[in-house]
Amino acid sequence: MKRRWMFLFLMLISLLFLSGCWSKKELPELAIISAVGIDKNEEGKFVKTHQFINPNNVAGGLQGGGGGQGPSVSVYTSTGDNILEAHFRASTKVSRRLYHSHANLLVISEEVAREEGIQDILDAFERDPEIRTTMTIVIAKGRKAGDIITSLTSIDRIPAEKVNKTLETTEKMFGEHIKVSIQESISILESSGRELVITGFRQKGDSEKGKKLENIQNSELDATLEADGLAIFKEGKLIDWFHDEDARGVVWILDKVKETNVNIDWEKKKDAIAYQVIRQKTKVSADVKNGKPAITIHVRAEGDIREVVVPVDLTDPKVIANIEKGLGKEIEKELKDSINLAQKNKSDIFGFGETVQRSYPDAWRKMKNNWHDVTFPDLKVNVKVEAFIRRTGLRTNSYLSQMEINR
Amino acid sequence: MEKAKINAYQLFVLIVLFELGSALMVPLAIEAKQDAWLVILIGMGGGLFLYLIYYSLYYYYPDIPSTEYVQKIMGTTLGRIIAFFYVVYFVYLAARVLRNFGEMLVTFAYPETPLFVINALLIVLVIYTVRKGIEVLSRTGEFLFVFMSFLLISASILVVVGGIIDSNNLRPILADGIQPVMKTVLMHNLYFPFGEVVVFTMILPYLNRSEKAKRTGLMAIGLCGLILSLITAVNISVLGVSLVSRSQYPLLSTIQTVEVAGFLERLDVYFVLAVVIGVFVKIAVFFYVAMEGAANLFAVKESARLVVPIGVVILILSIAVASNFSEFFQEEHRFVHFYVHLPFQVIIPIFLLIIAFFKNRKKSKG
Amino acid sequence: MFSFFNGKRQTKKNMKKEQNSSDQPNSNTKYPGYIDNTLSTNIDIIRKRTGNSSDIVFRSLKIGRNPEIKTAVVYVKGMVDSQSVNDFLIEPMMNNPALQEKIIPQEVLTIITEEVVALGGVKPVNDWDELFGSLMSGNTIIFIDGVSEALIASTQGGERRSIQESTTYVSVRGPKEAFTESIETNIAMVRRIINNPDLWIESMKLGKMTKTDVSVMYINEIADKEIVKEVHKRLKRIDLDGILESGYIEQLIEDQTLTTFPTLYHTDRPDAVAGNLLEGRIAIFVNGTPFVLLGPAVFIQFFQSVEDYYERYDIATAVRFLRIFIFFISLIGPAVYIAITTFHQEMIPTQLAIIIAAQRESVPFPAFVEALIMEITFEILREAGVRMPKAVGSTISIVGALVIGQAAIQAGIVSPAMVIVVSITAIASFATPSYAVAISARLIRFLFMISAATFGFYGLILALIMLLVHLCSLRSFGVPYMSPIAPFIPGEAGDTFVRKPVWAYKERPRLIATENLIREGKDQRPQPPANRQIDNQNQNIKKGDQNET
Repeated sequence: MKRRWMFLFLMLISLLFLSGCWSKKELPELAIISAVGIDKNEEGKFVKTHQFINPNNVAGGLQGGGGGQGPSVSVYTSTGDNILEAHFRASTKVSRRLYHSHANLLVISEEVAREEGIQDILDAFERDPEIRTTMTIVIAKGRKAGDIITSLTSIDRIPAEKVNKTLETTEKMFGEHIKVSIQESISILESSGRELVITGFRQKGDSEKGKKLENIQNSELDATLEADGLAIFKEGKLIDWFHDEDARGVVWILDKVKETNVNIDWEKKKDAIAYQVIRQKTKVSADVKNGKPAITIHVRAEGDIREVVVPVDLTDPKVIANIEKGLGKEIEKELKDSINLAQKNKSDIFGFGETVQRSYPDAWRKMKNNWHDVTFPDLKVNVKVEAFIRRTGLRTNSYLSQMEINR
Repeated sequence: MEKAKINAYQLFVLIVLFELGSALMVPLAIEAKQDAWLVILIGMGGGLFLYLIYYSLYYYYPDIPSTEYVQKIMGTTLGRIIAFFYVVYFVYLAARVLRNFGEMLVTFAYPETPLFVINALLIVLVIYTVRKGIEVLSRTGEFLFVFMSFLLISASILVVVGGIIDSNNLRPILADGIQPVMKTVLMHNLYFPFGEVVVFTMILPYLNRSEKAKRTGLMAIGLCGLILSLITAVNISVLGVSLVSRSQYPLLSTIQTVEVAGFLERLDVYFVLAVVIGVFVKIAVFFYVAMEGAANLFAVKESARLVVPIGVVILILSIAVASNFSEFFQEEHRFVHFYVHLPFQVIIPIFLLIIAFFKNRKKSKG
Repeated sequence: MFSFFNGKRQTKKNMKKEQNSSDQPNSNTKYPGYIDNTLSTNIDIIRKRTGNSSDIVFRSLKIGRNPEIKTAVVYVKGMVDSQSVNDFLIEPMMNNPALQEKIIPQEVLTIITEEVVALGGVKPVNDWDELFGSLMSGNTIIFIDGVSEALIASTQGGERRSIQESTTYVSVRGPKEAFTESIETNIAMVRRIINNPDLWIESMKLGKMTKTDVSVMYINEIADKEIVKEVHKRLKRIDLDGILESGYIEQLIEDQTLTTFPTLYHTDRPDAVAGNLLEGRIAIFVNGTPFVLLGPAVFIQFFQSVEDYYERYDIATAVRFLRIFIFFISLIGPAVYIAITTFHQEMIPTQLAIIIAAQRESVPFPAFVEALIMEITFEILREAGVRMPKAVGSTISIVGALVIGQAAIQAGIVSPAMVIVVSITAIASFATPSYAVAISARLIRFLFMISAATFGFYGLILALIMLLVHLCSLRSFGVPYMSPIAPFIPGEAGDTFVRKPVWAYKERPRLIATENLIREGKDQRPQPPANRQIDNQNQNIKKGDQNET
């Protein structure tokens, strides 16, 4: 009796194991996608551009040194009425199984973002278990998404990697751009009190030259990719671009700025003192009085003086205090400019609505419906900035001060 | 009944893993939006209360499992019918847990693999375990508990270090008052996962020191409530309410969001490990209890003989229980929680307790 | 379904029984039960019984005067210490004045015992079975014509391997000596460590043909009586023609045979045996092998080496954690690699995925086959290396390194990443302190590889849990194999993954020792002296010494 059950049991196990291997996929059978671009063609169909990694050309130097002989990525495009169809159609061109798990960049062309909005695109990306929702989204500024995808890059061999790293570095060091993932975009799209901001990427130079391997054999590339501006969305559609200080204002209010530099005028000389923010903390809070909301932004920045082009006595605490005051005003102005611009666009990209909702859920229910169009453009925003100078680098006063004394 | 004894720590471990089981993987109490964690804490209170009811029944009949004392309380015929329904209930729940787990794996990691195969593999493991008896199950549980703690602790460290927690997502608290919270507790959360401790009425008689039953059970349920509440809070604060409510497996999404130090990312295996461990124990407990109950009812001397038949029933039932995942999910929420869990977890035990109380009072007086 | 199989087996068993029962009387009929009183008959019986074996020496002597009495000394060449036979037995028998007088044969036995033979053990015997038993184990027999009794003089000796350093359980610190093949020497080596009358030894002879000496050793006050009884019961039911090594006994007395894991510990170090005896375990010594069995064994014991207790506890703890980690690598290393590269590529960081993909581009096999090739190659190399004469062994390793490390990669048959994985696994399997556990891991590794290749991590996790369930279901003499972790015993967890400081070992393992648990006195933790005078004095001296002169 016992033996018989054991027998059945073993049969069952061996049956399972012998017929296994359903979801098996060997690495060399995979076409590893590193980036995906979404465009639309004249017929209104989606054009999906895939950037595939050629492992042999990336890994390089292995097994007799095959590295660098070909382009590190290959690009295939396919069209379809929706994202999934375009995805499957790509299999007519690619010999391997399309593998999405390592894709970390989604490029959407400006045209699609302006006309169609991005909300129709993202569902396919969120639903598929193979696709990571931590994938970054960027908008191809002024070009087709395909151009960004096809452009070869130097230093980082995989263009998708380059875009991602550039974003990370510039977000950390300069603070005019932010890295937004699919997951974040979707939760912002869902929210009634916030609008989307996505960094734009631009291809500078000839897009045809950018595809060629010669491009990366030059010391200065014919076609390069660079982060340029922030795309401002309203209800899922791109409506405006913010640049430079305006863009930084947005990032600052979102509390994503880590390090950046701020210039102030001194004694009538423009941008005479450069200040580097080392750390900062921005707090946004909301008040509702008589049904009218008001937002307060409190910035506390700490940093060093990094460049001085006027003779100024940096050893004097009073002077430092003055500079700090000037810096505060400068940052305040920057933030206010950004807010004004956003208010003109009627797009609450700062999430002030969410702030109100969190603190005053009842009041929010009343203003929810016309927040972006009525309440937000007239919203009163107080900005308080405290800037602190902690250090002045290796020198105290500039040699300019000494020159002035000596002459 | 098997001649076996487990100690209080093993009981504790079994309850904890059992409760965490499938509750780890699904969105819990998300009907109450950002207050879900609160719902779980209140539900835990309800769970503690339910456990006290089960404990009182155990107190009256410390040596026999519930399928047997039902017969003593209600009379042989009626008692047998109720006991039989309990066995069916346990089998059904095991099948549901198995289905849920299989769906999870098929959805997220093994899309091409048939659900049947995924489920069959786990049931083979459970059959192997249950054959070995409750002692081996609880010893294995002790090991798995260590793994589980390690997983939970290291995962929470990673989540915190990864800086993805945005506590703003948990605000506002009680935006719509206490009513939706209480409603969720009473409609769902009390029964799943907390009310399911009812299966331990079958396991408590194995405890070697009966005086420890009360404390151990309450502590285990309390710990689970805290863990689940914490996990839900983390899920919501990482993903936001709407994403959690749209997610089939929010904890998976949370873990997928973690990125630490550039290479500690894509930690899906954490999730799979934790869920396999929990679900394994949960199904094994249901299975064991159903087997012992059936053996007891039908006077089968060697309960291990029932292992394969019950295993096959659970496996087939897990496939047959719903034709697609939406049906499965809706069934769970609309039907199972209220019409299945409520009578088996609350109404019948309370009823039994009342009768048992009067019977035993009579006895002690006499 | 299996009924006819059963029937067949039944008849086989019966036949065996019949054979057995017919064997027994046959052997007894060859010679009479008791020793005859004529010398020549006795010698003939021995000759016949041993088939005139050339290594049996018959030395005839004549003692006494008027009449001379014929005597004979019989022993097995090589089994006896020939020096003591010559000096203390034959020589005194020839020259001793007590034997030069007129004596009657009946007195000879007492005279020889009390006055002549200068050996430790001399006793009379009249039973042939006993006589042959002691003759074959190296004793010398003295026959006297006209006496129906013989004398057994214990002259066991002969060439034996001397005590040497252990080669299987090497340690840096700690006693170097290891057991030899002689059971007396082995027992004495343990006695030398535990000088206590409570160290009890019970001996028996097992094996119908070999009559091997087997001794059970335990400390009376500590070992659990029930387990001692159980050991006896299991040893008693052994009915085998020969026991050549303790492995025979291990396989006959373990709780469960359907497992790859050892449920009895074996060692050739006296200090390890002594340590285990002190914990309440029972040692089984078998003549002819340096390996002593210890039981009941628990799983975690196989990851501990005696040296752990000699080293500092913090280092020992770290090493123990390392060993567990190593064991896991040797168990699931290739399986994890297979699971990741064939099912869960998303788990690898992109850069690494690209590198592995590039390496695997040219490999014609699936990862599983690749791993299998490498693992099997490695197993072949290892087996060859173990069985080869030492001189050839190094050649094997050179050829193996070339085959695995270089040629296979250049030929594109395997990828470098796979070589790394397999080599680490191989090294890991050597680093497990117990060979018995290491080889079981070696076998299970293939099962894990199969489960990982069919169902990825899911299969692997299920296989791991199954292994865990299996381990938890094992017992060794009734003690759960995974104790004291599962069931968790708080006081003893200090000697599992971690090794508590010696002063913290308050109790013995309570599942093994059951009674007499207290192991050490109170306040064993060293306290620095409250009075620092001595230290200061020393310092002063030193200061003076170090002054410039």
